[in-house]
Amino acid sequence: MPRAKPDLGLIPAAPANVRRTQWLLVAVVLAMVALAVFFLLTMNLPSWSRVQTGLERNALPLLRGFVNPEWGVFELASRAMLETLFMAVIGTAIGGLLAFPMAFLAANNLLGSRLLAFPGKTFLVGVRTFPEILFAIIFVAAMGPGPVAGILAMGINSIGFLGKIFSDVVEGIDPGPSEAIRAAGGNDLHVFFYSVVPQVLPEFASYLLYRFEINLRAASILGLVGAGGIGAPLIQRLQFRRWDEISMIMIVIVVVIIVVDTLSSSVRRRLV
Amino acid sequence: MAVPDPVTDSAAPLRPTYAVRLLNWSTWAVIAALFVVSVRQTGFSLDGISRGAVDFVRFFGRLAPDWTALPQIWAPLIETLQIAYLATIFGTLLGLPVIFLASRNTTVNGPVMWVARSILTVLRSIPDLLYAAILAPILAPGPLPGVIALTIFTMAVLAKLASETVESVDPGPLEAIQAVGAGRNRMIVYGVLPQISATLTSYVLYIFEINVRASVVIGLVGAGGIGNLLNRYLSFFDYGGLGALIIVVFFVVLAIDQLSVWARSRLI
Repeated sequence: MPRAKPDLGLIPAAPANVRRTQWLLVAVVLAMVALAVFFLLTMNLPSWSRVQTGLERNALPLLRGFVNPEWGVFELASRAMLETLFMAVIGTAIGGLLAFPMAFLAANNLLGSRLLAFPGKTFLVGVRTFPEILFAIIFVAAMGPGPVAGILAMGINSIGFLGKIFSDVVEGIDPGPSEAIRAAGGNDLHVFFYSVVPQVLPEFASYLLYRFEINLRAASILGLVGAGGIGAPLIQRLQFRRWDEISMIMIVIVVVIIVVDTLSSSVRRRLV
Repeated sequence: MAVPDPVTDSAAPLRPTYAVRLLNWSTWAVIAALFVVSVRQTGFSLDGISRGAVDFVRFFGRLAPDWTALPQIWAPLIETLQIAYLATIFGTLLGLPVIFLASRNTTVNGPVMWVARSILTVLRSIPDLLYAAILAPILAPGPLPGVIALTIFTMAVLAKLASETVESVDPGPLEAIQAVGAGRNRMIVYGVLPQISATLTSYVLYIFEINVRASVVIGLVGAGGIGNLLNRYLSFFDYGGLGALIIVVFFVVLAIDQLSVWARSRLI
């Protein structure tokens, strides 16, 4: 039997719908780039000479400072970072405590209908929408500066995030154990404590740790608006452009955050 | 052969070993101790919560919005969104090559991957507001330091998130492409990108949401956007304007979030 010679020149064209998608994709990307250029042109950007003088005046001292951190502020920075860590711990704890009931009030499957879960879900969306630091500003303005304002800001903001994720976890549980408990004559409370809670607890703990990582980052800047933590000594030095001291403080922040992240993610891996 | 019966066989329900249980309990003990120390050290108390709650509600009462401030709000609000948009675009463009350098299955070699990952870790551990606070006095107050700060943040977060996705792609297509003689770049373009494009787009949208929130507040440290105006209202105790600003920001961020969430749910 003569074998048909493969025609290498004949690569079939892509189907019409794929080609349409490709064109659409190119068009979308072009539109996005055009929009970016338009923004750049219309935005209130500083003149090049202004940037140049700024760089000339500050870039070298900044680099010199970053290479030569001032160890004199190490103790101050460590103490402030410890306070930041403590703030994040309490803020996360408050957020977790308040998010725990919210999670069940916003879960479709537990309440039995989407309508009942709607108010809870709406509340959580509302809380999440606010940036943390806006809460911090409001708390500082309302009750004066200090770590307590920062803690409360973090606590409230964490409810939005944790409540949402917790309720997603609750909605994703295996209904089998609950049915088994009901079949054996258990009531709603039995189902809740022996089926729902044991299933969600490890994931709750894991997300709580994850939120702690986020809160630690947040806590280290809350001081910029007077809400306690390491941000306060940092903003003072930024005003006076003490780059060597800023460098030391930033090193402390970065090291602590990396260590906590690493520890926390290794615990999280064991949990889930 | 006898099959172990889960009811009668005492060994069937697995109980964690003593070592594991000890570890679990000591973890809880450490967490509890940390909490107690934290409460002591920050001077936090239940009294503080109730006082804070009362002050918060009372303060919110003063924030009755003064809608005559609206014309002042629009221009900086638009600048805020422009900053978020530009930073997302630039950060994505800069982050794309880094993603593949930081992923085990697409990187050039071990040391390069290690360096890329270390840089990303350090970049990510610095909060975005801090970048803005440092860049604003150096460059010039205004949107430029804001865009650069959020660009760095976008790049670092995107590369981290996406490199996890790249490492979990199906290796089959990559092997097939390599088997016909393609190099690393072709493997990425034809093997990896099609597998991750939906997830990648979803991450970019997610980071855009974060950037919108961040760009609202970076103005507090002089990096452009509506935070500047916020700062002004605060320092002049213009609570009516502040109330209006907060409400406008709330609904704009909410609308963008909901759009983005909807788009992301369509993608994956």
